Amino acid sequence: MMLKPPRRFVLQSLAAPLLLGSRLFSQQAQAQAQAQAQALPAQTLRFPRDFGAHPDKRTEWWYITGHAQDPKGRQFGFQLTFFRSRVDVATTLKSRFAARQLIFAHAALTDLQGRKLWHDQGIARVGFGLAQADEQDTAVQLDRWRLQRSGPPQASTYQAQLAARDFSLQLVFNTTQPLLLQGQQGLSRKGPDSRQASYYYSQPQLAAKGQIGLAGQSFDVQGLAWLDHEWSEQLLDPQAQGWDWIGMNLTDGSALTAFVLRKADASALWAGGSFRAKGSSARIFGPTEVRMQPLRRWLSPTSGARYPVEWQIDTPAGRYTVRSLLDNQELDSRSSTGTIYWEGLSELLNAQGERVGLGYLEMTGYAVPLKMG
Amino acid sequence: MTLTQLLRTCSWQELRHHPWRHSAAVLAVTLGVALAFSVHLINASALSEFSQAARTIGGQSDLELRAPQGQFDENTFALVAQADAVATASPVLELATNAALGDKKGTLRVLGMDALRLVHTTPLLMPQPDAETVTQAGRFAVFAPATVFLNASARQQWPGATLQLQAGSRWVEVRVGGSIQAGGPPLAVMDLGAAQDLFERGGYLSRIDVRLQPGHNRSSATAQWQAKPEWPTSMGVSEPAEAASRVSQLSRAYRVNLTVLALVALFTGGFLVFSVLWLSVAKRAAQLALLGVLGLSGRQRLQWVLAESLILGALGSAAGIALGTGLAALGLRLLGGDLGGAYFPGTEPRLQWSGLAAAAYGGLGVLAAGIGGWWPARAAQQLPPAQTLKGLGLSSGGQRPLGWALGLLLVSGVLSLAPPIWGMSLGAYLAIALLLLGGIAALPGLIDLIYPWAKRLLGQRLLPLLAIERAGRVRESASVAVSGVVAALSLAVALTVMVSSFRLSVGQWLDTILPADIYLRSSTSTAAAETVFFDPERIVALSQLPGVARIERLRVTPLGLDPSLPSVSLIARDLSQVRLSLPLLDDPVAVPPGQVAIYVSEAMVELYGARVGERVGERFGRLSEALGAPSILAKTGRADAPVFFVAGVWRDYARQFGAIAIDQRDYQALTGDTRVNDVAVWLQSGQDAPALKLAMAQLFQARGDGPVPEMASSAEIRAVSLRIFDRSFAVTYWLQAVAIGIGLFGVAASFSAQVLARRKEFGLLAHLGLTRAQILAVVAGEGLAWTAVGALAGLLLGLGVSVVLVHVINPQSFRWTMELHIPLLRLLALALAVMAAGTVTAWLAGRAAASGDAVLAVKEDW
Repeated sequence: MMLKPPRRFVLQSLAAPLLLGSRLFSQQAQAQAQAQAQALPAQTLRFPRDFGAHPDKRTEWWYITGHAQDPKGRQFGFQLTFFRSRVDVATTLKSRFAARQLIFAHAALTDLQGRKLWHDQGIARVGFGLAQADEQDTAVQLDRWRLQRSGPPQASTYQAQLAARDFSLQLVFNTTQPLLLQGQQGLSRKGPDSRQASYYYSQPQLAAKGQIGLAGQSFDVQGLAWLDHEWSEQLLDPQAQGWDWIGMNLTDGSALTAFVLRKADASALWAGGSFRAKGSSARIFGPTEVRMQPLRRWLSPTSGARYPVEWQIDTPAGRYTVRSLLDNQELDSRSSTGTIYWEGLSELLNAQGERVGLGYLEMTGYAVPLKMG
Repeated sequence: MTLTQLLRTCSWQELRHHPWRHSAAVLAVTLGVALAFSVHLINASALSEFSQAARTIGGQSDLELRAPQGQFDENTFALVAQADAVATASPVLELATNAALGDKKGTLRVLGMDALRLVHTTPLLMPQPDAETVTQAGRFAVFAPATVFLNASARQQWPGATLQLQAGSRWVEVRVGGSIQAGGPPLAVMDLGAAQDLFERGGYLSRIDVRLQPGHNRSSATAQWQAKPEWPTSMGVSEPAEAASRVSQLSRAYRVNLTVLALVALFTGGFLVFSVLWLSVAKRAAQLALLGVLGLSGRQRLQWVLAESLILGALGSAAGIALGTGLAALGLRLLGGDLGGAYFPGTEPRLQWSGLAAAAYGGLGVLAAGIGGWWPARAAQQLPPAQTLKGLGLSSGGQRPLGWALGLLLVSGVLSLAPPIWGMSLGAYLAIALLLLGGIAALPGLIDLIYPWAKRLLGQRLLPLLAIERAGRVRESASVAVSGVVAALSLAVALTVMVSSFRLSVGQWLDTILPADIYLRSSTSTAAAETVFFDPERIVALSQLPGVARIERLRVTPLGLDPSLPSVSLIARDLSQVRLSLPLLDDPVAVPPGQVAIYVSEAMVELYGARVGERVGERFGRLSEALGAPSILAKTGRADAPVFFVAGVWRDYARQFGAIAIDQRDYQALTGDTRVNDVAVWLQSGQDAPALKLAMAQLFQARGDGPVPEMASSAEIRAVSLRIFDRSFAVTYWLQAVAIGIGLFGVAASFSAQVLARRKEFGLLAHLGLTRAQILAVVAGEGLAWTAVGALAGLLLGLGVSVVLVHVINPQSFRWTMELHIPLLRLLALALAVMAAGTVTAWLAGRAAASGDAVLAVKEDW
């Protein structure tokens, strides 16, 4: 997969709405940045170094989504993300407090039994041991939220600790399959312009285990998760109005990702994705090979947006239906980060209507046009 | 007849016949209530505004951490934030500096903050970039170097896209990136990293705002921090709400003081109600007696007269509340929230009207009138109807024995020695009230004392004899008539003495603290002392200018000795001739070897328990840390903390929260800090100050890096200071004039009543051959005699009150002392004016009463 909508969106505008009180970030700034940017060179990703942070790139994220259930069958969807963002204007400062790099984190928990989505986020400048992203391996911290990798590159173990306002996640993820390099050996195109690209690998089919705390209760859970790590100069095409993305762990061990960037008229600006059957190499989808068609829409009572919560997705690996497991998984952070989008636990159905996998669906640009500029 | 009927018929007639007399009583109550209420409103508004501002800055944080020396190592931030008890910690570099845009120069408070952390503690300080800033600097403009976000008042003062800020001796241009919501005085927020770079404070913070995790409190958090070995022990932990409460506490004495002074006016009003109703009862004695015979019981008569007094009081109070509100609104606009007291720096308060306070002050007015009406009401109750109808009239006044009056005066004297209670001079205020009451009670005695002496002196001549005999024989009603004058005049005398003592002391103080010819200040604000200072080369160049005899360098820096109190100013200057440099109260004490001499202002004695001839006490403990501990200023490597010795106390009228003076060499040896905030320049004899100021300005302009520092000759500073002083005390002169006017009104009212009652006596005198002019002369003479006694009593009582004000209330309330200075000529003029006014008033009243036909005379009093 590639640029996930919310991630990219959150990332790009991440601190921006929070700090600017406006989601608008100017066309000029965009044009300037675009003019200066060079196309990313193709290069071999080296591990464990590339598990770590790349502060020379404008944006970077570690993004985990997954599904878990406790022994009694109570089911949860979870999402935890750490973003890193370079702040060019602060690079000339000498102070240890200078905001040269920002760390932003976001966590969400879908309680299927309670039919409710919980979420929380935080942001801080790197420094003083309070917020940091290690450059040698995955080790990201934002105050008391942490994500850390250990083990040899082929057999990673990730530990995540997030004590959010309304819930907590204490999870350990173990790889069960090799790394999945997206795009061309990890260089993934993001738009029609060759500079619109990122370095990108995924860890699908992660075995998840740990505790989820909610409303004073603690649940011992197990499940399957998916990790994306992506870094780039983060340039979006100005025509992009929003995007739709899926990342699915299939029960047979396959991994499917697909996305479409929409223009204002809802037509596709760019598309992509990949399919990797268990034990095989990945089939990377071209920009014209993915089609996503809305089947059913859900009207958000809070934002008034109409999100397609059921999709028909055509890929070179076949036709699938994606269906959300809870309609209301809209993340309304307008009061804090200013962002509003839909991201939630969904099931993957094959052409016969049988469930073949679980994963996350993300949709942005439905509530308010995304002006990423 | 019911009470209502009585009021409607009899009282209404009385009121209609004597509108002026009753208006005087109502007016007196009105003014008393108005003054007290407006002082209350202004103070309440200022305090509320100040706590609002304190809340904005303190925001939603639970705790605030500061260091005594003003700044501390930035690594402390990590220690603070990592403690389990802490939910969010927001680091702040707080400073004040000079800002300029063109010619518009002023002090700007700058907060270097982390915009990502302050959302949880001080959301009103969140930078809001302008669209243009975003266009130019991108979405991360809030983190950009040299970019400030201004609040409304700062934007108003410097409405440009850029601004010059002074950092040390340099001027730096910064971009105005947008705004912040916080109100109050000019304030700028910028990125913490950018602020550390801009002001060269890399590595240092001045404050950390903390929000605690639920279930934690100040002590549990402090315990966690202190458990860490690297924790700097000098860090002070306080709750932001304390800022408002400490200002409330420190200014309470000041506010009470003003309120009590205003209540003295109300006290005068009560006297006037007493005197008006007393005369009214005396005049209506026949009416009351007749009603008594017709069945109106003594109790009903008491209720009636009391009701009259309460109605007068209610009318006066209602008008007083309205007038007080207007005065307060005007006062806030013209004088600011502290009426010139400098307790609420930089606030622009809005009027905080409260119905409860209005009811309380209105109630006070009614109460004062009720108390004033009590004795006349009692007299009406005890009136013997039969005798009164026979024309024997009302026995004058309650027979208060002289011993009772002396007892009051004695108690007053003892009370004035009482220490302050809850920081307020309650004993002294009570002493003043008793002094006035006792003094007025002693009036008949005073007349007894003077009477034989006056008779011997003037007994040979007929007209004066008549006047004196008359004044002496009816001394009880005479005391009633002049009691208003006595109260008013004693208030006027007390205020005059206090203000002139204060002014003289301030003048002497200015002479001592301004020995040089010209002063240069890097900033008008002490808070900017850490940010703004002189370039050393420039000072050397300054001292070499032709015409300059010598210069002295001053370093002024704020010290937070006690986190629960505002900062103290530390002044480092040349104290080799301390007696000439500081306005010391006594000769300095010899300093034991090895100890460092400091000289403290009077406020330090009160607030920190400093004692001359002693090593600094416990509450000074942080002084050693502030100066001796390794800090940005003090990397001296000394292992042992210096011992400070209080070698003297000096008078300081400028810094209510305390100041410490230390010799510059000691300061520099302790801290290694050689920066200079102020420079004093002595000229060679025959040099012209204006010319040299011009030369100095040119010296500063030569490098052309920003505005020229503040420069003033000592004469200018002196003149400006005294002008400010006079302006803030102008209100007291008005108060005196109003009080005396009311008192004279009372005299006039009594005279017209007396003269009317004595028309038979005047007729007799006319038959004996006295002309009308001669009779009027007798009346005027009586007026003179009465007011002379009143003036004498007023002078004596006023002097007594002023001694209490100057020697008890002032030191207790303002934490400074002054010399008592009695402006004899002015007091004499005041007394003579009152006597002249009293005489003329009596003559006018007599003329009005004695002229025309009886019907007219009955209708018109004076």
